[in-house]
Amino acid sequence: MKVSLSAQHIVKRYSGVVALADGNLNVESGQVVALLGANGSGKSTLSKIITGVVAPNEGQLLLDGRPVTFASPQAAKKAGITAVYQELSLIPDMTVAENIWLAHEPLQFGVRINRREMRRRTDALLDLFSGAFHTLDADALVADLPPDEKQIVEILKAFSLKPRVMILDEATASLDSRQVDRLFNLIQQWKAENLAIVFVSHRMEEIFRVADRATVLRNGITVGDVAISETNERELVNLMIEASATPRRHERTVAADAPVRLSVRGLRTQALKGIDLEVRDGELLGIGGLQGQGQSELLLALFGAIPWTGEVTLSGEPVHFRHPRAAMEKDVAFVPGDRASEGLLYIRSILENLLLPSWQRYGIPLQLDRGRQDATRIADDLGLVRPSMDAPVSALSGGNAQKVVIGKWLLRNPKLLLLNDPTKGVDVGAKAEFYNLLNDLRQAGTAILFYSSDDVELLELCDRVLVLHDGKVSAELSGSDLNRANLVAASMGSGHMNHEPA
Amino acid sequence: MIAQVRQRLSPPVIALLLAIALFFAGGLINPAFVNLTQAINIVRLAAFLGIIAAGQTLVIISGKEGIDLSVGAVVTLGAILVFRLSNGQNEALLYAIPIALAAGALIGALNGVGIVIIGIPPLVMTLGMAGVVQGTILVLTQGQLVGGTPPIMGQLISSPLIGPFPGVIFIWLAVGVAMWLLLERTRFGKHLFAVGVNRTTARLSGVRVPLVVIATYALSGLLAAFGGFILLGFTQTVFLNLGGPYLFPAIAAVVIGGTVLSGGKGSYWGTMSGALVLTLIDSLLRAMQLQEAYQLIILGFILVLLISIYGRQSDLRQ
Repeated sequence: MKVSLSAQHIVKRYSGVVALADGNLNVESGQVVALLGANGSGKSTLSKIITGVVAPNEGQLLLDGRPVTFASPQAAKKAGITAVYQELSLIPDMTVAENIWLAHEPLQFGVRINRREMRRRTDALLDLFSGAFHTLDADALVADLPPDEKQIVEILKAFSLKPRVMILDEATASLDSRQVDRLFNLIQQWKAENLAIVFVSHRMEEIFRVADRATVLRNGITVGDVAISETNERELVNLMIEASATPRRHERTVAADAPVRLSVRGLRTQALKGIDLEVRDGELLGIGGLQGQGQSELLLALFGAIPWTGEVTLSGEPVHFRHPRAAMEKDVAFVPGDRASEGLLYIRSILENLLLPSWQRYGIPLQLDRGRQDATRIADDLGLVRPSMDAPVSALSGGNAQKVVIGKWLLRNPKLLLLNDPTKGVDVGAKAEFYNLLNDLRQAGTAILFYSSDDVELLELCDRVLVLHDGKVSAELSGSDLNRANLVAASMGSGHMNHEPA
Repeated sequence: MIAQVRQRLSPPVIALLLAIALFFAGGLINPAFVNLTQAINIVRLAAFLGIIAAGQTLVIISGKEGIDLSVGAVVTLGAILVFRLSNGQNEALLYAIPIALAAGALIGALNGVGIVIIGIPPLVMTLGMAGVVQGTILVLTQGQLVGGTPPIMGQLISSPLIGPFPGVIFIWLAVGVAMWLLLERTRFGKHLFAVGVNRTTARLSGVRVPLVVIATYALSGLLAAFGGFILLGFTQTVFLNLGGPYLFPAIAAVVIGGTVLSGGKGSYWGTMSGALVLTLIDSLLRAMQLQEAYQLIILGFILVLLISIYGRQSDLRQ
């Protein structure tokens, strides 16, 4: 039976912030539509609306030409729409078969789970990927599976629902090339069986292999719907960025003879596949790319918080930090991305939060008066709005809490500052203050490594930007090459474009 | 207004006010209850409980379901080691005490290693360790508790030392000052609170979390062994379950004193107030000459009531 799904003029606001302003998507039987967009363009919001995870504020969904509303993901599933997400929804303590058939188990007499039938059907599903996995088995515990095989189970789970429309949201990210090949073969087969597929991926090469059409989102608006056979990478990237790509506000230069503070050769972790980079004193080196490409791991490794291999030198001296304390002793500081879970002690006072990395300076017994003076000075410098230094951090607003996270490191006068997406969830005013602070630090000669998920921020602040893709540096952009088009192209893993788009 | 009063009335203050109120309430029931001898007696009893609860305070502050159920057994072991090694000789205390304290610290450190390096839940690890210590005591003593209590212990701990006040009260005050210094005026104390609130934040701020946790459990063991030594000065003799009855009252004293079971917040002077409250309730119920069974029931209700009052304080949750 043929199917068609159409999302029309969808609007979604989250507490005043517009995530989707005019989202449109059409897909029908036998078609693969690629959904593309830069960070924060509304891709995931649109796919969540189609699958009933969130409700739209405006606009409508048409299924087979009739308007529908989904109150829940279950309602969407009942209508034949399922999704495979990268964040896995499997239950680790259950077997592969139990996970796949969860909540739609084959039943005997309408009540008892028919284990034999469940097993048979699971084996049939696993046959679809036979030869492309090692340990996968109907009775294996999901917790024991490697990430790629979990992802396969996730795909099969969605397929077991006999969907009419299937959304694959970054479903290939953890698969190896053989598994991707197999999935693409299956997709061809499923197309012939009238399945409609929405394919969300940041791998350009995959989009050109598997998709029939591409729908492009930019700032919450669907700006293009083109046939893959009639387009190319360049055109898609240009659709993803604004026609007048944000110009850089300032050209900044670092003295080329400034000493090299940090030099990294062949840095590897579980997520990183060999990173080389160099930062000079007073330089602000940006790290860009789509989220989850190894940016956080890079900063954590340099701070000694996760194990790594490779060569790192600080001011020419080889170092291998195995604990953050070792990095701190060499004047390295790290501002984590998630304030609540990594940066703050919420129920403790502002004073204690600011002094946490620095207590050893205050002797035994601790000279609290001197500590309070230092902390107050930093708090004043940062314009920290606070009831008192003894108030718990939980009493502060997001922007002020972020100042505490940064302030506790400024107290140590770091020579190398590692910033992990520090402006996430910070309001515009606080961002501007933060940018000024970064500039002051650069003037003072601090070397800064700055990961941001906000491309505009990178373009405006950085001298150079390294774009990470899949654990590798896909491009190093500086000077006139540092523009939105190149940044977006590189984050999609496509080659470096040397020229400004026309 | 009420919220403001509540904020100023932190759990340790509530506990202390409650202790004073209970003392005078005792006078209403039995006028003989309110006099200096009785007050000294109560503080003396609270001192034993308070000293034994000192280590527990540290462990509970360290968070991640931190608790030390081996305290009772280590108290017993500490007392038996001093009893045996000193064999009633004053001079022998010079090595008997350090050995007892070192044994306690070692047991605690093993707890810490099991918990933070191997990842065994504190409840399981320390309960298992309690069994191991009890068993070790049986093996070492063969059930025969030979030895003696040096006379100086009785003089320094349970007999009146200055005026009518027994030494244990001064020892308790000294422990109180030392604990306050440790928690509020050392790097270790600040790191302990940080570890109790959020171990990821602590680690990313340069705190060596495993070391802090191991040191905390080691201190708990050391303080428990010290508690055993103090208790011996009072009982003058040892038996195989000397410390056992103090385990749960000690945990209750910590919680009544406002130290949060989820970790990261608390104080030792709160625990001291908690020990006073518990001892007073106990003495009061005895003064009312209720049957033991009813005493237990009432004590249980009071504990639940107190802790639910604290639980409602907004700043304790999150």
